[in-house]
Amino acid sequence: MSANVVIGDILLAIGAFFYFLGGLGILRMPDVYNRLQAGTKATTLGTFSTVLGVGIAKPEFLLKTLIIIAFVALTNPVGSSVLARASYLSGIKPCDCTKVDEYKGGGEE
Amino acid sequence: MRRLYAILVAAGLIYMLFVFLGTLPLYGKVDLSNRVSAHFLAKDVNSVDVKKWVEGDKQVPSREKIYGRKGFEDESANVVTSIVVNYRSFDTLGEVTVLFASAVGIGLVLGGMKRMGYGRKPNFILRVSTGILLPLIIMFGIYIFVHGHLTPGGGFPGGTVIAAAVLLLYLSNEEFVANMKTSKSLEGSMGSLYVIFGLAGLATGGAFLFNFLPNGVVGSLFSAGVVPLVYMTIGLKVGSELSGVVAEIHEEREG
Repeated sequence: MSANVVIGDILLAIGAFFYFLGGLGILRMPDVYNRLQAGTKATTLGTFSTVLGVGIAKPEFLLKTLIIIAFVALTNPVGSSVLARASYLSGIKPCDCTKVDEYKGGGEE
Repeated sequence: MRRLYAILVAAGLIYMLFVFLGTLPLYGKVDLSNRVSAHFLAKDVNSVDVKKWVEGDKQVPSREKIYGRKGFEDESANVVTSIVVNYRSFDTLGEVTVLFASAVGIGLVLGGMKRMGYGRKPNFILRVSTGILLPLIIMFGIYIFVHGHLTPGGGFPGGTVIAAAVLLLYLSNEEFVANMKTSKSLEGSMGSLYVIFGLAGLATGGAFLFNFLPNGVVGSLFSAGVVPLVYMTIGLKVGSELSGVVAEIHEEREG
């Protein structure tokens, strides 16, 4: 077993762990915004790690996996941000434990 | 004067209708093996062999081919496309027609003159990232339908990705209005181009929508005969059609 396969397996395990944390966050977090944050952060990092792990374990896929990582980095946060803004503007309240709401008033830039 | 011409044309049409009704064979007396549908059913991926069906339940695919052995079944890298475009091309044409009819219906019900506003400025992050993502998304859609015979994908998914790019433009810019004239003309010309490919197959191969082009090396971009051309027409047609649907959903009537 060569070194790059070991590194790839470790990255795959880290990615699976982050996916697990994302699922746990969606199950345990109190409101939409926290769930969205847990899901997006965990799955973005999990996708980076698993895809990079595949790319390192199989070096012929490395360029493709780097492009996939770039696409996920470009799209996933944007989608999450749009979802969060749309749910805020359509009137979904954050949970009662929220202390600071910097977006109050609709966020006119 | 114009009314006279109309009456003449109508009378001619009615006369032709009666003449053709008189030449129709009686019910139950039709020799189905001589009709176009039987020819279409007898269309194999590799040839047109009408005798196979005339022989009844034997169904021996004789080696005597009208267009020679071509091997379209196993020489397209993505097997699904050899089924969708070679075996079931008529069905795909029907799907495209159904999509056209539904797009026309949506245009009749939801279409209007003015672009509907959202009442607030679109998200800043969305506006900035659209400029980066839009060319990538359109390129990805075109890649999907150009490589339909090599990789999973094809005309319908590729066209849908292009329509998603148009939807992204609509969501990120309140003033954006798609050019409906371009989309409609592209849609119509691509739909008729598909039928023209079918007629070319009828003229050269012997059956409607027959795969009449030679297939090259498996896995290269120009292989599998007519499949990439058909997928390009389907992809452009579906893309412009769904873009038109997206545009019509974002329209409203005056007042």
